[in-house]
Amino acid sequence: MKRLFNGIGPSRRDVLKAGATGLAGFAMSPLLGRGAHAEQWALKNIHETAAAKAKELAGSRNVSLKIMQPSGSLGNVKPVGDLWTKATGIPVHYLEVPLGEINQKVLLEAVSKSGSFDLALPATFGIPDLAESGILVNLDKYAQKYEPTDYQKDVLYTIGDYYKGSLYGYQTDGDTYLMFYNKDWLDNADEQKGFSDKHGYALKVPDTWEQLDAMMEWFHRPDKGMYGGALFRTQYFIAWEWWGRFHAKGFYPLADDLTPQINNDAGIAALEELIAASKFLYPGARTNGLFENFEAFGKGDKFADIGWGGTQKFLNSDKSKIKGRLAFGDMPGGMVNGELLRTPYFNWGWNYVVSSVSPDPEIAYLFSLFACSPVMSTIAVRDPGGYFDPIRGIHYKDPQIQKTYTEEFLVAHKHSMINSIPDFYLKGQGEYFDELRVNIAAADAGTKTAKAALDDCAASWERITRRMGKRSQSVQWHFLKANYPAGIRDRLK
Amino acid sequence: MIETEARDGAGGVHAAGALHVEAEPVGRSGLLARLGIPFNVALVLPAQLTIMVVVVVPTLIVLWLAVTDWQPTQDLAWWQAQFIWFWNFNDLWYDQRFINALIRTVFVVGVCIGVELSLALALALLFVEEWWWKRLAVSVIILPMMVVPVDAANAFFMLFNDRGPINHMITVLIGRPFTFSWLSDPTWAMLPIMLCEIWQWTPLMFLMVLTGMMALPQNQVRAAVALGASPVRIFRRIVLPLLMPVIGIAVLIRSIETFKIFDPVYILTRGQPGGATETISMYMYNGAFVYFRMGYIAAAALIVLVLVLSICIALSKPLKRHT
Repeated sequence: MKRLFNGIGPSRRDVLKAGATGLAGFAMSPLLGRGAHAEQWALKNIHETAAAKAKELAGSRNVSLKIMQPSGSLGNVKPVGDLWTKATGIPVHYLEVPLGEINQKVLLEAVSKSGSFDLALPATFGIPDLAESGILVNLDKYAQKYEPTDYQKDVLYTIGDYYKGSLYGYQTDGDTYLMFYNKDWLDNADEQKGFSDKHGYALKVPDTWEQLDAMMEWFHRPDKGMYGGALFRTQYFIAWEWWGRFHAKGFYPLADDLTPQINNDAGIAALEELIAASKFLYPGARTNGLFENFEAFGKGDKFADIGWGGTQKFLNSDKSKIKGRLAFGDMPGGMVNGELLRTPYFNWGWNYVVSSVSPDPEIAYLFSLFACSPVMSTIAVRDPGGYFDPIRGIHYKDPQIQKTYTEEFLVAHKHSMINSIPDFYLKGQGEYFDELRVNIAAADAGTKTAKAALDDCAASWERITRRMGKRSQSVQWHFLKANYPAGIRDRLK
Repeated sequence: MIETEARDGAGGVHAAGALHVEAEPVGRSGLLARLGIPFNVALVLPAQLTIMVVVVVPTLIVLWLAVTDWQPTQDLAWWQAQFIWFWNFNDLWYDQRFINALIRTVFVVGVCIGVELSLALALALLFVEEWWWKRLAVSVIILPMMVVPVDAANAFFMLFNDRGPINHMITVLIGRPFTFSWLSDPTWAMLPIMLCEIWQWTPLMFLMVLTGMMALPQNQVRAAVALGASPVRIFRRIVLPLLMPVIGIAVLIRSIETFKIFDPVYILTRGQPGGATETISMYMYNGAFVYFRMGYIAAAALIVLVLVLSICIALSKPLKRHT
């Protein structure tokens, strides 16, 4: 079996070094003590041992695996699936569903229990709802049995894998929110002088949202075909930017007693700033979805964009006119008590999860262990057409991945990954965020004031919390808060 | 005697006219008798049972769900759901999105039915007389009604796209570039949705009104013409009052249908931006099939049912007068 994977694996030294750098993002107390029975399973060849064990479990039975995955991810998943089949003889069938509907489809399986898939790749933010529905296998017992102790040490973001302290999936996509800037415009000496004369600080990759807004305003010259930004203003995406602006003002969305803080003065100011910034965006910002946004910024006539590693894959391709002329940065921060607070944000990503209806959950688990191993996940991330982004420290050292993303981007991406705040991983996340999206979009469209929108949203959140069960939500919220990166956790109120 | 009649005719007719089955030792009638089911009851039983299964049982389930917090994703059967009294109704009372969606839907019904009826009346007047190509013209007019609603909505999505034909036509008309995001503007986003609905369903209204108009008794119209009444006066004083029962039924049917408007909303805007185009069906779809809040949405459905029933009763009052 070793022969199959020759030449694509990292050296042990690489793995350990990357593991050390990834340690900063490893704050999962429930992980401690796990894998006690799996110490003989080394991280370096975990893909081989997982495949061998799966083959042994399957024996002479006619076993196959069905994976439900978001559309467009076949390029990431299939190469790994093919290697799994070669190694184990267990065929893999792929079931692609629309990207925005996969969590809904997995939830439906909780109702129908049809056994339509053994593994799925839902969006990470939906894990709490899926776990509560009973459709996901709690992976603790399998991890205890098979996962090497250092399996996740090299993974830069693992908070989304857990719900109430239990493991429910393995992160396979490093979807932290990043900023993209037009480097030609930033480096233009005339622009730099004009901007610094007006604002009193240098034109460079902005540190704060205030600076970003000022720069977008500066470059917004629609009469000359120049636009300040391509930030999202469509309902599905708009709340994520506000989430970043709000956290950068030094607040958690919920107080310890789960009272919403989103409608405090900081929240209202963040929303008013977002609405004001809308004036400096290109005309399609309110209608364009994800891929239209890539194309719009790829034209090279806009100063700033927000996105993920997938955005960079497009912008660094031949389809983009701005290829090679980009600067990158974390999401901007804010000044809190006179000091800069940056709150990078992990807001999407996909997790390998195992269906509780699967006839072979153990083999399905072993597939996810195989697919997320250092060697296999590197193969998955390499695909230039897919959208899985680096998640393990080892990925940043892979020459093919470096070529796909550029080294400059990977530096910014890794920094953002290590310091990312988690998404709102509570039961009912979809409902909480739907209320937030609708109200923020309404305020941006001018049908509500910022205060009214956030007050309405906070009132809805109170009702959702009551309905979901305050005690249960409180357990998860405190777990989540404890897993915000240390440097950020200490500064948020 | 009675025994003979029953044997000959599988039942006997008494003087009072009631159908009775006498006791039979063998055969189907015998089975009914053994079960104690009268023949007349046996005749209506299948229909009654069908209605029970397709109407009464689901209604009872909805009534039960409306007072529970059941979500199928709780890994509980619906009959095991937690009873929460009237909390769902309480939450709906404070749910601004639900209230806005209701008001918005009533507005859509008012505008769409008003426009559809006006257009249908105008077209019916045009088509009530015989003229060449009339049959072909009627066929063309009723074509939109035959288009799959999702396809119709998709056509309007393309028409009102930022770079679609509508913006292009306005650009040509005014002689300078016109770019307007119809579907993301909270003031205007409802317009394409209502236009789609009107375009597709005016033909149905037209057919109903035309049929009614063609069936009107001609004597009164002839008398009015002979007495020198103007066409407008004839329409207002004779045609319209006689047509009221048909118009009433047409408005009633279309109002109920329009209240359920979903396809154009889903395809064109999905209720965006900021809920500005969220109708009650869209709201309930999200609640039930995206967030699986079956209990809450069952309560919302009951409120909507009461509202629609009230509207139906209000609209059918003039009909009763006419009949």
